[in-house]
Amino acid sequence: MHAITNEIRRLRFEHGEMTQQQLAEKIHVTRQTVNAIEQGKYSPSLEAAFRIAAVFGVPLESVFHYSKDE
Amino acid sequence: MSFREKSAWISLLSMAGIYGLYFWSVIHDGPQSGRFHSGKLLGTIIALVVVEVVLHITVALFAPAEARAPRDERDKLIELRAMRVAYSGLATAVAFACFFGALDPPIVFNTNALLFILVTTEIMRSACLIIQYRRGA
Repeated sequence: MHAITNEIRRLRFEHGEMTQQQLAEKIHVTRQTVNAIEQGKYSPSLEAAFRIAAVFGVPLESVFHYSKDE
Repeated sequence: MSFREKSAWISLLSMAGIYGLYFWSVIHDGPQSGRFHSGKLLGTIIALVVVEVVLHITVALFAPAEARAPRDERDKLIELRAMRVAYSGLATAVAFACFFGALDPPIVFNTNALLFILVTTEIMRSACLIIQYRRGA
């Protein structure tokens, strides 16, 4: 079982309690897509992942974590 | 609920409702009536277009920005998955229709059977869209 988790919710909170809508507008997706990414229901494209990291000014691995459960 | 999901609900319910009435009418008349119901079909198509346009405009009025926004990557992925499921159903149903077509049924039966397959495929596509939007992706 492989799982991708993320820190988007925490990063939004740390960046002035940025709303999902504000983040969605910055990375050119819908609010529902940001919500799905945040909840781990949808894995974004590499481009969208880099955009999210760029918005928060952190490297990609600080936003997304890959864990391999044996 | 996103605009895309509402749009899928509109398509599913209007197709099921309006074409449901058409097929109920055709079955009520009997398959051996010997004539294609072109007037009924034309009325059905016009009713479907009017209902879908009016409902989509109404929904868009409540969320104009969302309605104008282009599809994002998740919307496109969901549409592709729904299309794949619907195409599989369509291909299977057409194969069965070809098989039964070889039994030489009345042309009015064949035509309505193909129309039924197309409508069912579109309903299946809308249902897949809704399920994926409900799940998140």
